[in-house]
Amino acid sequence: MKRYCYLVPILFVIAFGGCRKDYEAPLPYTFINSSGSGRFSPAVRQALEGVYVVSDGSTQFGSEVVLKWSYLLEGTDSTHYLSVFTGLDAAYFNLEGSAQTDSLVLNGYWRKLVNADIGLARLVVQAKHNGRLQAFSGNLPAGDTLVIKGLYGAGKNTPSLPLTLQYRRPLNKKPFNIMAHRSGGRTADLLPASENSVAIIKLASRLGATGVEMDVRYTKDGVPVLYHDNTLNLRLIEKSGLTGSLESYTYKQLSALVRLINGEQIPTLEEALEAVVYNTGLKFVWLDTKYVGPMDPIQAIQQKYLQKARQAGRDLNIVIGLPTTDALDSYKALKNKANTPILCELDTAITRNLNAGIWAPRWTLGPQTDEVLAMKAQGRTVYVWTLDEPTFIEEFINQNKFDGILSNYSPVVAFYHYTEQ
Amino acid sequence: MTTFQHKRIRDYLFVVFLLGIPCFTTAQSVESKPRKSEIYFPQAPLPRTWRNSLGLVFTTTPPELTEEIRVSVPAIDLNFQRGLTKRLFFAGRFQTQFVQNNLSLGLRWARPITDRLAVSAGYDVSGWGGALKIKDVFSSQAYGLESMPNVSVGYHLKSDLRLTVKSEVILDHYYRSEVGTLAIVRDRSQVNGFALTVVLEQPLYNQRYVSAGFRAAYSNFNWQLWSLYDTFDRNLFYPQLIFAFIL
Repeated sequence: MKRYCYLVPILFVIAFGGCRKDYEAPLPYTFINSSGSGRFSPAVRQALEGVYVVSDGSTQFGSEVVLKWSYLLEGTDSTHYLSVFTGLDAAYFNLEGSAQTDSLVLNGYWRKLVNADIGLARLVVQAKHNGRLQAFSGNLPAGDTLVIKGLYGAGKNTPSLPLTLQYRRPLNKKPFNIMAHRSGGRTADLLPASENSVAIIKLASRLGATGVEMDVRYTKDGVPVLYHDNTLNLRLIEKSGLTGSLESYTYKQLSALVRLINGEQIPTLEEALEAVVYNTGLKFVWLDTKYVGPMDPIQAIQQKYLQKARQAGRDLNIVIGLPTTDALDSYKALKNKANTPILCELDTAITRNLNAGIWAPRWTLGPQTDEVLAMKAQGRTVYVWTLDEPTFIEEFINQNKFDGILSNYSPVVAFYHYTEQ
Repeated sequence: MTTFQHKRIRDYLFVVFLLGIPCFTTAQSVESKPRKSEIYFPQAPLPRTWRNSLGLVFTTTPPELTEEIRVSVPAIDLNFQRGLTKRLFFAGRFQTQFVQNNLSLGLRWARPITDRLAVSAGYDVSGWGGALKIKDVFSSQAYGLESMPNVSVGYHLKSDLRLTVKSEVILDHYYRSEVGTLAIVRDRSQVNGFALTVVLEQPLYNQRYVSAGFRAAYSNFNWQLWSLYDTFDRNLFYPQLIFAFIL
């Protein structure tokens, strides 16, 4: 018996320690991020947006894709990016125009969020005239069609697989809020920026988002920062030696000693909203209440940035989410509730009593059509959260009752929203 | 489901389990039937006799799905096997957490290779289902069908100690998920993952045999976590601890 007493622990270690695979999806492409849009003039950009049929590459990216532009602002400079959203495996492309060619060339990468597949892509925009492809100048005569041809590859390998997209119809124009979870996306989805960082906020539009949800906590000295988990842990941060709750540390300690998993600092709520207002075109911010305590400092920041957005000519709404009765109590304790947009995740009766402008039930309750229609009839907006399952995203969008979806897979929501007819 | 609800269910299951042990022990001790000493070891029960075990399986949730929360989800685990011929036997297994259940039925063919070494091959088909109705949280249910071709190798370390290593391929055949009035179905058969189980079977006290081991499942989907709506197309690691009394 003694001979074998070590056997089980050894097998245990092998099985439990050896099976966990670390997934990674390092970016194969470094963006030049040159300001302006080069040869991609506003007319070209406008013409390019739409729903395209995929011929070459449909097994990898599905039969239809959506092309949509987004931009980043730095002062008065803007940088434009083209995103491709697909209906397969939550795949998307991030592309930028190349300034080094005479034709309309797009370089970048593609990625599948459901796994770690990633690769380079190089595409050329052309016009199909009388069955022949020719350079596209921004002017598309009637009868001509935009065709985007190019190559994609796996990892950092030189692209060699053909991809052909042909314009089919314009994007669905119906107003709809595509809200990205965790300020743009989850760390678990191996995105190039950490969840709840300034970098992911700047990436959110390129992932299809029109708004973001942020997780707000207080540091020990009362500074509102973005962080999701109850503890500092290696899922979200690099090794730092700090453990326990974020609330145990001052902001100075956190900014000096803690880096998020992709190297960024934990941002203050003000830094995050500063980026939203002055660097992005995002139209909606949902401040998720992860803290226990007074809401006054959050309200003050919300009002400050609503004011800044108005002054900057931005169409931006910032709302405080009320997910629990504790948060509800904090909200009720506010001395002045004027100019404080809220979003209620609790039931319809509470939402009505608060006169909240937005009701946001969980998606796992189903479409709740009667309740949704009743709330909308009272002038409220209705969002559903946090919905990631692609087939259910399609079903919820096809039902056409909700005003928006909060998701970790904003590229999937974007695809189903913009392709809806 | 809240942590508090998880704890309540886990405590309840533990009490039921503890209350049940003496009953089974007493019932067995007054019988003069042949000793039943294995469930996992690849050896068929005597023809037309049953062989059962009752215990618990603890499944640890992968961090990719539950993030900072690591939950060890317990399930009551009932195995029931019946000899059909000298080497062929029926193998059934029922796992329940009340809100979600899994019934597996299969056939195994086992034969000894040497005095100490034995092997078996089998095919199990399992149906699982779960339903969650929690106010303002869930109005969801799901069910599905999987099958698991499996091979086991067993070794008598001593006359009363058996080590079994079982490998399985997990195949998905059908999945239906409903939230409120919406439903989605996936009915394409595909490989979901694989699992390796290592179990020791030995007497614990009073000739009462137990199975103790672990199962390392590496799969894309785990029926016990259907309500997390995993969207990853990545195989995740689901470690399970197994402990059962052979009845």
